[in-house]
Amino acid sequence: MIELKFTVNSEEVAITVAENLRLLDILRDELHLTGTKEGCAVGECGACTVILNGEAVCSCMVLACQVQDAVIETIENCDTDPVLQILQQAFLECGAVQCGFCTPGMLLSAKALLLRNPAPTEAEIKKALEGNLCRCTGYIQITEAVKQAARELAESK
Amino acid sequence: MKSQKRKDAFAKLTGKCRFLDDYTVPDMLQGYIIYTTIDRGWIRKINFPAGFDLQEFTIVSASDIPGKNIVPEPVNDQPFMTSEVVDNFGQVILGIAHPNREILKKFISLTRIEYERRNAVTDTKECLDNEANQFGEIMHLKHELAPTYNLRHLWKWQQIFYTQHQEQAYLEPQGMLAEYNIEKEEMKITGTMQCPFFVKDAVESIMGKAVKNVVIETSEGIGGAFGGKEDFPNLLAGVTALLAWKAQKPVKIVLDRKDDLLITTNRHPSRVDIIAIMHDQNGFISKIDIDYRLDAGAFQTLSPVVLHRGILHATGGYNIAEVKIKGSLHRSNTPPNGAFRGFGAPQAIFAMESFIDNVAHRLSISPLRLRQLNLLKTGDQLPTSQIVTENHLQDCLDRVVQLSGYKKKFTDFQEYNKTNTVKKGIGLALGLHGGGYTGNGEKVLQSRVKIVLEKNGMVNIYVANVEMGQGAHTTLAQMVNSIFKLPPEKVNVVIPNTSQTPNSGPTVASRTIYVVGNLLQKLAERIKSELGFADLKDHIAKNQNSFPQSFEEVFVPDPADDFDDITNQGVAYHDFSWAACVVEITYDPDLYQIRVDKCWNVLDVGKVINEGIALGQVYGGVVQALGWALTENIYKKGYPRLSGFTDYTLPASLDIPEIKVEFIHTNSPVAKGLGEIPMDYPAPAVRNAFLQATGIMINELPLTPERIFAAQGRSKK
Ligand code: FES
Ligand code: FES
Repeated sequence: MIELKFTVNSEEVAITVAENLRLLDILRDELHLTGTKEGCAVGECGACTVILNGEAVCSCMVLACQVQDAVIETIENCDTDPVLQILQQAFLECGAVQCGFCTPGMLLSAKALLLRNPAPTEAEIKKALEGNLCRCTGYIQITEAVKQAARELAESK
Repeated sequence: MKSQKRKDAFAKLTGKCRFLDDYTVPDMLQGYIIYTTIDRGWIRKINFPAGFDLQEFTIVSASDIPGKNIVPEPVNDQPFMTSEVVDNFGQVILGIAHPNREILKKFISLTRIEYERRNAVTDTKECLDNEANQFGEIMHLKHELAPTYNLRHLWKWQQIFYTQHQEQAYLEPQGMLAEYNIEKEEMKITGTMQCPFFVKDAVESIMGKAVKNVVIETSEGIGGAFGGKEDFPNLLAGVTALLAWKAQKPVKIVLDRKDDLLITTNRHPSRVDIIAIMHDQNGFISKIDIDYRLDAGAFQTLSPVVLHRGILHATGGYNIAEVKIKGSLHRSNTPPNGAFRGFGAPQAIFAMESFIDNVAHRLSISPLRLRQLNLLKTGDQLPTSQIVTENHLQDCLDRVVQLSGYKKKFTDFQEYNKTNTVKKGIGLALGLHGGGYTGNGEKVLQSRVKIVLEKNGMVNIYVANVEMGQGAHTTLAQMVNSIFKLPPEKVNVVIPNTSQTPNSGPTVASRTIYVVGNLLQKLAERIKSELGFADLKDHIAKNQNSFPQSFEEVFVPDPADDFDDITNQGVAYHDFSWAACVVEITYDPDLYQIRVDKCWNVLDVGKVINEGIALGQVYGGVVQALGWALTENIYKKGYPRLSGFTDYTLPASLDIPEIKVEFIHTNSPVAKGLGEIPMDYPAPAVRNAFLQATGIMINELPLTPERIFAAQGRSKK
């Protein structure tokens, strides 16, 4: 067992869990943040993407011991986070949501991109979303949505 | 006009939408399955690992089944579980449940099954080339109009085409939650499924008289399906129900990706042998003989239905006077194949569209001209004798040629390729897809739908058709509301639950909008005229005592739609959707690699209800078809089994070409089938573009570098 302290969506968490637990399990099973999805468990699909210390990561590939003192953001942060909200609105308007299983992971990968590159080109968007599989949309409307969100973010500044 | 926003989008964008793995109920056990890991033989012994308290586990095998050990399907030949004979990899042997997932997984990974192996057929070519593997009913479709031979110019040519398995790869793996209510003797299943009433039949079959009542509900979110959640859920729900009944506790099973990939249904591999007699100079086809074979896997299950759709689409969009089609299923020792977007049509269309380009190539005529010469037009007959009543396929073709600049690029690329190592190619393909169940299917189904006008002014729609990402619940509500004209948030589709929802049939075959939606619209019109309101909100407010009120409608087929299931003559589909596609590729001969640059799609799907959703269906279908064309493959002889998305390569964001979509004839009164047609035509368009770029005819999918390398070697000899 390991004692952990970290921040999730601006809230401090102190928790004791088994060492071999994945961040994905901590989020879903211990903290009941089920917006983060498991699509493959081996880091291939991106459905479990969260932002860890500013970077998009697959939470199925992060072990408990790696999140000591970390700052983590999940889709549940959307209630208060303006960047996620702008992305959500753009996804809605562009028709970028179908089954929705990839959506939380996509949004977080997109947010991580916009944090480090507020004006990405189409190629940069595609590159940033490369690790997030979507079987429904063919990615076209998702790429559009991220472009639109970037434009809106620039305007809102 | 801007499209109405999806009703389910908000819940999905906030992570609040509950998918099956997000459901927990008190006392719930974690369940899983142990399945066969050889292709054929016998199970000799099951060895559970030491160091576990077996009392903590609930274990079920075939001998625990109180009802029938047969999954209800069009052909009832697959058992839920096997205890001795192994016919394929992936047959369920045991269901196991435990309160703790870690302990359960550990126990399963340490359990050893001893087998005695027998020779097995797992290679698709071995399966399909050998007629000894044929099983089930052979289907025939014959149509003979007096052909107009020009005896001095007869040319007969034969070509054989193969396609491979394809995994649906919905992003959410399959899962079921079973809750058994002992007092009521009621089994409730919540799960990822396209066809709640099929699942109900399955659970009733396995449980027999042991439970009185079975209720099936879909999970709030279903993370994609594409046909993959059409029939496997029957089996999974059955085993989960059995576990919950034995444990007398709720049990949830969610498949791991790897297992979902290895044991659930896939697209049928095909072998299509085409022999045509045509004019030796202009390629006018007067006679065609098609032998269409599908590898069904170890059991027939729903394969005859796929076979049927396949033969009905086998001549594609072409008018041929004399047609002979034979369809047969072949048995292999791979998991039974099942439904996947397109349902037999993509295989048929791949063969026919590739054949057309091979002919054009051999005769050195333009693939476009050859298509125009043989195209189905108003007044022509399909092989079923059904008369074509619209020239819309031609309109799709004309428009896509214009949009893509096909003619000029075709000659430009020929010039370009003379002097460049990296090649450019442009390819054409046509698609057609019948809407709804095949032949008499809709007559038999007799779909029923229900609309309830609530006291508070809300309108609730009850249909068995599920929202699996395709946007059905938004589009259906929009269709109803086109009559009621309320604010969109007042009209909603209720999550399907077999205890409240009438049976409007399965969510398959491009029928949800085309059959169920049009039926709902008819019901809404009837409600409007019966109640005689001008403003529904007002009407409900003023007549509070008469609400809630419930209305139902049953599907009545057009009496003119007669179809003979034996001769396969008559009206197989009341309406066809039509499409034409142009694909532009770059081919790098050093890497043997095809890159798709652009893809133009022109479709006639009738009225488009929600353009955003409709576009999403086309984009998604096209990209799935590109995966099938280029990378996706499950069984490769001599290679180990797949382990996940690492070796089953799906298209990712970086692989996506520029995709252009245009809908034509949208002023039609009818919304026709849309979900499947975008899967039907892109693969042959890519393949034909490769032929144009290189002159190499490859009659097999996928066009992987390995296959191209081998073919290039052959063509040089
Ligand atoms: S679940 Fe983590 S990448 Fe797929
Ligand atoms: S919307 Fe279904 S996987 Fe992306």
